[in-house]
Amino acid sequence: MDNSIYKAYEDEIQSLEEEIKLLTEKYEDSQQESTSFSDEQILMSIKSLETEFQGESEGRESPSDLKAQLESLERGLSFLMKFTGIQFTSHSKKTVEKTQNRTVQKHRLLGNCHSLSFQLEFQLLEIQNKENVSAVITDLSIIMESGEDSDMSKFVSSTEERGNLLAFFRSLSCYAEWYEHRRSTFLHFK
Amino acid sequence: GVLAHLELLEAQAREAAVKQEEREQQEEKLARLKARVQELRLQRDELRAKVDLQQKGQPGKEGAASNPAQPTARAVIEWKIRSIKAMLQVFYLTGISGKLTKQGVCFCISTAYEGTYLDSYYLDLLTKPEVQIYRHSVPVFIPLQQIAKKYLQTDIRRFLSVLSDHLNAYVGRRHQADQLQEHFSDQIEGTLQRNSLCNLLVFNYNVSSTSKTFPFNVRLLYGDLCCSLPTEVTVSCTPDAPASLAETAAAHSDLFRRVGLHKAFRSFSGAAGSVA
Repeated sequence: MDNSIYKAYEDEIQSLEEEIKLLTEKYEDSQQESTSFSDEQILMSIKSLETEFQGESEGRESPSDLKAQLESLERGLSFLMKFTGIQFTSHSKKTVEKTQNRTVQKHRLLGNCHSLSFQLEFQLLEIQNKENVSAVITDLSIIMESGEDSDMSKFVSSTEERGNLLAFFRSLSCYAEWYEHRRSTFLHFK
Repeated sequence: GVLAHLELLEAQAREAAVKQEEREQQEEKLARLKARVQELRLQRDELRAKVDLQQKGQPGKEGAASNPAQPTARAVIEWKIRSIKAMLQVFYLTGISGKLTKQGVCFCISTAYEGTYLDSYYLDLLTKPEVQIYRHSVPVFIPLQQIAKKYLQTDIRRFLSVLSDHLNAYVGRRHQADQLQEHFSDQIEGTLQRNSLCNLLVFNYNVSSTSKTFPFNVRLLYGDLCCSLPTEVTVSCTPDAPASLAETAAAHSDLFRRVGLHKAFRSFSGAAGSVA
């Protein structure tokens, strides 16, 4: 039995299935990234979900499962923000490139650490290797509210140059605490 | 004669039947595969059209809900869930992320060298009756117990911060050595010797001068475990090397103290790898 006659079709089937998976992900990413709902809309949706019939689920999660999942995620996020002191107030991302092994996303992140506000923009490149996923930051742009501090601006520009996002966050917490301490001390003596 | 002849005819008929069946199965399978290809092609083309329409419909970032139809409550919740998950992934980029568990918290410390994220390490903590490390993936040569003894009970944030310093520095040192071996192996003579903590590196590399190459020996000691630059550098050349090379050795020694290993080597190559 000569199996090579099937090979061309089987190869095409595999490549089509991969392409379909990728296109589906692209479509869903784009839907997710271009949509935005307000907190009121979300609260209203939670309420209306509670009145949905159980039988409607057919293979998807039940309304109570969805609600539980949402609450658990919100609890986790709230814990992290409280623990690290880093509060993200806005996050938007756009998938710029997506192939089987590579994903490039543009991120825009606003937030504050104690009383220091920051605005970040960067590009995140993720490459799927055999064993793991590698992530690289490029085009990092950092805007700090308290830009007058010369040490801070030197630190910010060297961090931007090297794409050193991790170092920025690690130093931010330290600096913010020190800044907060200095500010309250100053106010105390005023 | 007749019986044998009959048997032969029977065998031939059986063979022909088997071959016929094989042919039919083959054709059936081919037809199935062809149909599947058509089906998938159609699906793919529909998706392509959908995605193209999406791209055209959003020339820039409008921010407002782009669904013309009224989204279902389920769709809104699912959007919010994906949104929070994306935000949690961003926390990974800050260096400390984690999630609540039934018995406590599982933290994840991420490491990076400049813009490249490297390994991440897990710490599964119990919070009752007191804070304890239940499980972790921190390598054995990192002084985890020492750091825990000092900070875990009194200041968890400090504990994670100090541990993160150690891990990031270790990963940074290892990354430099790996990059050196990956990109500058032609300049390295023999093997690059290193310990598991990557705080002691010894190797030989070639420096060319007046069309001859001389081996330099380098010993790098990283005395500060929270730092990815060495505290002690010894660069030496062989006794038969010209005197001018001693200056080069001193210059290299100084460079290794200030700049990442692979970057130092990159700057050597930039200067055409040779010194007059």
